Amino acid sequence: MAAIPKEKPSRIDEARAEFARYKADVKARGKPFYPYAMFHDTIMSLVVVCTIIGLAVIWKWSAWGPDHDPTHTGLRGAEVAAPADPGTTSFVPRPDWYFYFLFYLLRIFKWPESVFLGTVGVPTIALILLIMLPFLDRRRVRRPSARPVAMVAAVLTIISMGVLTWKGATAKEALASEVVRDVPNWVKAENLPANALPGAQLFATAGCTACHTYNGSGGSNLGAPDLTEIGSRNLGLQFQVNHLKCPSCVNPGSAMPPFASLGDERLNQLAVFLEASKGSP
Amino acid sequence: MATTYRRKPTKAEIRRQKMEELAMFPIDWLEERSGLIGGVRYFLFRNVPADINWMQTLGSAALTAFLVQAITGVILAMYYVPSAATDPKTGDPVAWESIVHITDDLTLGWLVRGMHRWGASVFIILMFLHMGRVFLFGAYKYPRELNWIIGVLILVSGMMEGFTGYLLPWDQTAYWATVVGINLNGTAPFLGPWLAQFLRGGQEISGETLTRFYSLHMLLIPGAIIGLITLHLYLVIRLGVTSPPWSKDAAGMEPEEEEGARLRPGLTRPVPRPSGASAMQAEPGGQE
Repeated sequence: MAAIPKEKPSRIDEARAEFARYKADVKARGKPFYPYAMFHDTIMSLVVVCTIIGLAVIWKWSAWGPDHDPTHTGLRGAEVAAPADPGTTSFVPRPDWYFYFLFYLLRIFKWPESVFLGTVGVPTIALILLIMLPFLDRRRVRRPSARPVAMVAAVLTIISMGVLTWKGATAKEALASEVVRDVPNWVKAENLPANALPGAQLFATAGCTACHTYNGSGGSNLGAPDLTEIGSRNLGLQFQVNHLKCPSCVNPGSAMPPFASLGDERLNQLAVFLEASKGSP
Repeated sequence: MATTYRRKPTKAEIRRQKMEELAMFPIDWLEERSGLIGGVRYFLFRNVPADINWMQTLGSAALTAFLVQAITGVILAMYYVPSAATDPKTGDPVAWESIVHITDDLTLGWLVRGMHRWGASVFIILMFLHMGRVFLFGAYKYPRELNWIIGVLILVSGMMEGFTGYLLPWDQTAYWATVVGINLNGTAPFLGPWLAQFLRGGQEISGETLTRFYSLHMLLIPGAIIGLITLHLYLVIRLGVTSPPWSKDAAGMEPEEEEGARLRPGLTRPVPRPSGASAMQAEPGGQE
């Protein structure tokens, strides 16, 4: 046996010894990859391919509308949505499902001070922690029952990702047809002058309420601010028009898409409405 | 094999031997010049722990999903046209039309596109499940730290594939999700606005954004993923897969942990390990 008794082997020595034991064990008592493990892998791969084909088949047979309308929504979504049109602004943006957690994270952080935490801050920190995991947890033990901190952290991560994905998936989107019914209430609540009315109608239908709330209508998507009292900041008509034309030119880093396609006349109407919105008296 | 003939081999036996040599010739030729056959033999017949379980098939399942994406993607690229220009006959964007053409007109085109579209989600789900399994098993610990990092990079690249591929149908969903997605990239400090500008190829999303995303989606990112997967597999083969940590017979377990008698007096475990293994344990130098 060992000649010189060591006081206590260091962690890396123990890890190395364990790995050497592992290699010896596998060599002596393991079983060959082919056919044992490969058999399981093959079965599992067949299941995966069949699942993918199954999803495609369900998609095809449920999405194709009776009159073969490619935009008909079936069990698994439409074949394709209407062609991209930068001119329409009432379309509610939706990412693929695995970005829903990110999508919902943006609603938690408010524009503009802290939204960068939602878009970049939290995801970057999470990614760094994920990459650094092997260096944060350097204990040798692998049994889940002996790793309570790691297991609790994993469960919390899964729950929070699940909740964020679920909330992102079910987040209520404001429909223009519903919001436009609220316009008379806005006029009453904010005492809007008559010349602000066309702008209010436009605001309700042009997609602004997909991201902004106004007097309780609309959805606060992507951390966009509430505009109920935007007029009390007295930014001026010219600022509003410039901002609508190119938000990121006025507010560097703004996530708001440009609305220049609405045209000068309608942008002016929107600006009048926004400047008239001084909040409830 | 080494049958010794007392008598002279019959003609049939000689013919048989010649046939065998002929059949083996290409394999021997390749092995002599590349060593690939030996590599494949090592890959197939290397030992894995006897107690591995079904959860450990998730990695190869994710690989299969990636291969499905690669094959269907190559077929889609034969028919897809990454152009935002308007078709003068119909007034619709060319890219959108080519997607509709693939799905509606081509034989089994709906299947290829459907598999690519839904396979993307399956790929992402399997990567997450595989990562969960590795976490549960503590398999990211020494000496497999590097492979965990490579795995995370594959996951991130896979999600980038999702983001870039989402724009290609050039429909409303694709367009507006990408408008917002790029703007979100733009909120990052320092590099953000530059990155947003690069992804868009200008101030607004246009046909240039579409070709850019197409190139990233089918050349750069898949190339990176293939490289990372190769490294990942190399390390899996080199380092071996772990036993489930709760296994009573886990490979590499400390010898004293195995002494069931100490934990449960009165019960003895009848089957000791084969002597070869314990002899190897005494000297950790027995590494290959």
